[in-house]
Amino acid sequence: MSVTISVSDETLTAPAPKVAGRKILAGIWSWAPLYPMAAVFLIAVIGPWIVPLSPTEVAGSPNLPPGGAFHFGTDSTGLDVFSRTIAAFRNDIVIATLTSAISTVGGILLGLLIGMNESRRGLLGWVARFLARVLDLIQAVPAVVIALALVAVVGTSVYSLTIALAIILTPNQARMVRTEVLKVRTDAYIDAARMAGEREFALTLRHVLPNASWPAVENASLVFGSAILITATLGFLGVGLHPPTPEWGSMISTGASDAAVGRWWSFVFPAIALLIAVGSFALAGHRVFGRRSD
Amino acid sequence: MTDHKESAGTRTLEVLRKQRWWFTRVLVLPVHLFFFAAAVFFLVRMIPGDPVEQLTGGQNVSAAKMEQIRASLGLTGSVFSQFIHYLHNVVTLHFGNSMVDGLSVWGELSQRLPETIELTVIAMVIATALTVVMGLAAVLKPRSILAKILVPYARTAGAIPDFVLGVLGILLFYSTFRLLPAPDGLYAPTLNPDPTVTGFPLLDALFAGDTVMFGSICAHLVLPVAVLVIAYTPLLLKIFLRALEEAVDAPPTRFRIAAGASRKTVLLSVVRRAAPSAVAMMGTLFGFMLGGVVVVEQLFAIPGMGLYGVNAVNSSDRTALEGFLILVATISLVVFLIVDLINMMIDPRRRPGLAKDGAS
Repeated sequence: MSVTISVSDETLTAPAPKVAGRKILAGIWSWAPLYPMAAVFLIAVIGPWIVPLSPTEVAGSPNLPPGGAFHFGTDSTGLDVFSRTIAAFRNDIVIATLTSAISTVGGILLGLLIGMNESRRGLLGWVARFLARVLDLIQAVPAVVIALALVAVVGTSVYSLTIALAIILTPNQARMVRTEVLKVRTDAYIDAARMAGEREFALTLRHVLPNASWPAVENASLVFGSAILITATLGFLGVGLHPPTPEWGSMISTGASDAAVGRWWSFVFPAIALLIAVGSFALAGHRVFGRRSD
Repeated sequence: MTDHKESAGTRTLEVLRKQRWWFTRVLVLPVHLFFFAAAVFFLVRMIPGDPVEQLTGGQNVSAAKMEQIRASLGLTGSVFSQFIHYLHNVVTLHFGNSMVDGLSVWGELSQRLPETIELTVIAMVIATALTVVMGLAAVLKPRSILAKILVPYARTAGAIPDFVLGVLGILLFYSTFRLLPAPDGLYAPTLNPDPTVTGFPLLDALFAGDTVMFGSICAHLVLPVAVLVIAYTPLLLKIFLRALEEAVDAPPTRFRIAAGASRKTVLLSVVRRAAPSAVAMMGTLFGFMLGGVVVVEQLFAIPGMGLYGVNAVNSSDRTALEGFLILVATISLVVFLIVDLINMMIDPRRRPGLAKDGAS
């Protein structure tokens, strides 16, 4: 671990007059990349309550362009695009949050187990090597294809989608932690702790876990984005959350046939919402961890 | 005489030892395939619902008939005997008949496979060529506008939803500007397919000398290929840019420049150093593209393998799903094998047995 000398903007500028207001402003500005994410979460919480029309029931005549009572127009079945786009935040955010939490925690545990034991003799070594191969194999097949197979088995409720996505996204997290464990394992403080008589299990939890789990934590914001994207992809393919549940992927799928005849609104708005959701988390992740990973 | 014999023996051993790197890697493939086949076997049996009931559609059928259906689905006997039976079927490419339309799964898949491969390979080739050109351009002229566009573009790796790009393409180039044909398949529906020679529609049209068909397929492929290329090139570009930057700064490069080597020689050595990590990424890229093809086929109504898989899931067609999963897994594993072998060829440090510690 190298010592990083922080060279932020404040230290470089000449001693400026210390105005409290400016400092607060600078503080507010420096956390600006996190605001879109906060907004996305806010919409996810209050979205279903603030929508003007029911997101799951026919609200008006089909294919109305944006404007008037329908801010984003209506789709080909007469559902209000605005209400659906806003209401969809909750489902996608719930799935993505649960998935990134499960796959990060699971990935850290698996990565520790594999990294600490894979070169060991005995049962634990075999288990670790077997798990490593299983994770490799999951990663060898396209995520969408594995998602298709899992969805056929676990079904398509919010929670079963979460399970499927966690299975798909955990291997990468585990692999990143494993790589870090292999580096950390040879550090001097590990040997010191071992010589001081610490048991392997305690050693792993107390010293390896805090030092080797950062790659998975950093990557969690990307896992979040991937979870949203795969959920939407499944919805687009017609095997995700069942319509009329508001979900961007299935909305884009109906929007696709509308777009082919020039009705752009039922595609454009959910697509923008999807991009905002994915982008906001990438942005926040970059702000929080960016200096370290780049 | 014995001396001569012994030396021949050691020479064979020596040859074997030298060739071990690719030999062992190839031998791993069947093991991986076996694991996959086993996973698919259990996964498909975990799909909720009774397949026999699904086939009979809830009608009253005699017990004998039920048993007959059960046997045709390979569902009789113990799980172990079922598994052996299933493995035998997989090895001999007997995936059974679709539970929905009754057609042979393998027949259907083998007919659809070339279209999918064609799409993926074209997109792969273009993405690779673009990566090399753009990567070199960005690294050689880091202050140019191009570099300023490419570096953020590479950062979007894996975050561009392919289906959004696809629908956007249809909206702009088909319904607004009328530049490209409708998303209605691989060629205009009014055309008749050419006689099958290779199974690859583009090649078949070429062999038949059917320029109308060839043009139609090309026009229909523009958007799907563009979607795959734009959505997935960043994956490769990101890795290649990072590797190039490292290689440009590496001591061997400085030495070459200091020794007065020509620009071309320096460039070649830089690319040579950056290539292995980019090649390693190509297996992953292929996987992403194969996943993207599933989406693209659905969007553009191209009757390939991906569409078959999606339909199988939608109708819980177990036999079709089984065949689809095994075929995709096999293709992915074979591509990873090829990528590994190429990488071991161009970078001997990646051959097994040389890396002493497990850190990778």
